[in-house]
Amino acid sequence: MATKTIDPLTRIEGHLAVKVDVDDNVVSDAWSAGEMFRGFELIMRGRDPMDAQQITQRICGLCPVSHGVASIYAQDDAYGLEVPGNGWRLRNLVQAGNYLQDHISHFYLLSAPDFVDLARLGAYEGDDPKLSMLRDWLRSQDPSPGLIQAAPLLPRYDADYLSEPEFADPVLRHYVTAFDIRILGHKMTALIAGKQPHTPALVPGGITLRPDVKILTAYATMLDKIRRFVDTAMIEDLLTIARRFPQQFNEGRSYGDYLVFGAFIDDEVTGGRYFPAGAWIDGRLEPLDLGAITEDLRFSMFDSTSGLAPLQSDLSPAPDKDGAYSWIKAPRYLGRPMEVGPNARLVVGYHQGHPDIKRLVDWFMGETGMHLDQFNSSLGRHAARVLETKLIADRTVNWLRGVRLGAAEPVCARFDVPREAVGVGLTEAPRGALGHWLEIRGHKVHRYECVVPTTWNCSPRDDQGRRGPMEQALIDTWMADPDQPIEAARVVRAYDPCLACSVH
Amino acid sequence: MSGYTRRDFLKFGAYFGAVMGLGGAAAPTLAAALQRLTESRPPVLWLHGLACSGCTVSLLNSENPGPLELLTQHIHLNFHATLSTATGSVAIDVLEKTIAAGDYVLVVEGSIPATMPKACRVNHEPIGELVLRATRQAKQVPGADGSLQPLVVATGACAAFGGVPAAENNPTGATSVGDYLTQRGQAARVVNLPGCPVHPDWIVGTLAHVLGFGLPELDDAGRPTMFYGKTIHDQCPRFSDYESERFAEHFGDDGCLFKLGCVGPEVYADCTVRNWNGGASDCIQAGAPCIGCASQDFAREAQFPFYRMNPAFPKILAKKAEG
Repeated sequence: MATKTIDPLTRIEGHLAVKVDVDDNVVSDAWSAGEMFRGFELIMRGRDPMDAQQITQRICGLCPVSHGVASIYAQDDAYGLEVPGNGWRLRNLVQAGNYLQDHISHFYLLSAPDFVDLARLGAYEGDDPKLSMLRDWLRSQDPSPGLIQAAPLLPRYDADYLSEPEFADPVLRHYVTAFDIRILGHKMTALIAGKQPHTPALVPGGITLRPDVKILTAYATMLDKIRRFVDTAMIEDLLTIARRFPQQFNEGRSYGDYLVFGAFIDDEVTGGRYFPAGAWIDGRLEPLDLGAITEDLRFSMFDSTSGLAPLQSDLSPAPDKDGAYSWIKAPRYLGRPMEVGPNARLVVGYHQGHPDIKRLVDWFMGETGMHLDQFNSSLGRHAARVLETKLIADRTVNWLRGVRLGAAEPVCARFDVPREAVGVGLTEAPRGALGHWLEIRGHKVHRYECVVPTTWNCSPRDDQGRRGPMEQALIDTWMADPDQPIEAARVVRAYDPCLACSVH
Repeated sequence: MSGYTRRDFLKFGAYFGAVMGLGGAAAPTLAAALQRLTESRPPVLWLHGLACSGCTVSLLNSENPGPLELLTQHIHLNFHATLSTATGSVAIDVLEKTIAAGDYVLVVEGSIPATMPKACRVNHEPIGELVLRATRQAKQVPGADGSLQPLVVATGACAAFGGVPAAENNPTGATSVGDYLTQRGQAARVVNLPGCPVHPDWIVGTLAHVLGFGLPELDDAGRPTMFYGKTIHDQCPRFSDYESERFAEHFGDDGCLFKLGCVGPEVYADCTVRNWNGGASDCIQAGAPCIGCASQDFAREAQFPFYRMNPAFPKILAKKAEG
């Protein structure tokens, strides 16, 4: 048996180290270690509750909007606010723009290099201007000792990549286009919310922007460009990868229990959210029960009491705690490790009979021969993310059409911060279920707690010793060369880990 | 800007060849020589401390140059944890080769957990130690006293001034990169690029200036004056509202945003004239107050005002009334 460590595990957000035991080229055990802690929940204590949406956005530069939205939902709840139509629709537009850029960034910028050989750019023979630019750049690399050749695109692990020109070239063309397309998602967000990352316009009660026709038209134009890219490039590339790496539908299998908090207020959908809340446990659909959430700490670097519900526990960092190997806590639902993310949203939505989800998922399963159960796999996680990108891009058109213009249209409810209150804000970050819990005493934050998607997915073992979902997914991964563990890295990256979020 | 493509060099090569009477055959050699001028510029090494990667994402929002043009035609980014294809041992190999060869432009995103080294590690090494090691080998520039010192570009609020991780209650002893290096007795010329996140133009413009023209002019806080020379308030699109004392009372109102917590008079940055995300908007255009993310005081004390009246406001108004 050999132990291999992937540290730093790059092309994700943040500081993650993954350790695996390998027997005869097969992973027999795995450990996920979050390597960064800042203490946001301690920093929030004693502050004005209005600080929360700004402070907590700084948890993550990839999905700040998700934290901003969870925070203002928690405050809406604590202050008892009715958000006007323009308020929730514009919030959705902010969140949607960030989802689109985030999913496109993950599929292309971060993940595509695991599937398509970037070294092939040097052999490109077509006339695409950007690919030609990259080819010339690759061929003209200066061999000075201080320069890493073709960094940051190379070097990479030697592995089985998509390299046949007829398949690889379109993916590479879309890969280079994606760098510019994802910018549009952020521009859409900035049009409504001022800037991105870290938007200033999200506030309790609604939003600060009074929209005008120019903003909405610009948003619509960029949304249309993204929708075309998703339809003509992203979905096609997913199919190419699915056909070339069908075994990836069986790799990275985890527990298959899913949790969804629900996202995007939508008055035309039952339950009020476009992605509805729910849990899929042991092959059964269950309604979401917030009381079932606890956080285990036995293997996490905290010496506070383990197994408590959000807002119940103190946060006491203990970097030298015996046996602890990660800064990530181990949240559990009914005591079980749960997977969150696009695959959770699609599986739960599918079983709830969500018409858009059902139609798209059925189509994809027909095209690829994949089974619903195989969303519990590395390729299933990527597929869910790509399919969801289309669902969101298409649905955003409705939210945009619902925005009303005119000085008489309110964008934000009025409020005062109460002396004592408790609020919960639930949404879905691109990476999965996100909850913010807020307790106000004497007009100040008494406690604030975030339970975050990557905390669920990349958690260490719980008090019973059960591995976190990603650790479990690594078990039985076969590796051609354990010294170049790309197969394990693929399993990890399919989760789109965000380490800054997971520990915060 | 070092905005030359290989095609440009072929063109220049042909041009110089013709000027010097060498004919077309000499052009490729000349082109190669000219191209080497840019490529022999130092590589960039980007390290992450207590960071959210927001500055990384902001870098990717750069336009003209766009991200791929930036990475391939303008800078040579040896290592960056979010962008490098290299992972695990391959990434460590790249990182160590880069540090061993030295003479790179070091960029640090995020603050340093000075009192809790385990709060941020790369391959078991506390980030503070890695940043210290990387600083010693970085490209040297004249320091404030004229002596040669390693250059460190501290990008974003956290690296420049500590940011949210260093806010009140700070459990990790998070500190800015400049303060950390001082604590460790390491001399360095630290260029601070505050902002949460950094604006793409601020980081790309600074790198381009360093690589093409040398160190830009810096103020006493190490900020390039080309970006941080004036206050938000002095460049505010709602300045006339302030002058005529039309104040927004509620979110969504027209008018100066002082009563909703704007700290623009105390913040040096050019957001309101540069705008964010390729000119899409900025905080004040979206009806939101400047929250001072480029300020040295940003979020630092629990009293720092987000969306509530800046305690300095009555004083500023009184001064205004005095004329």
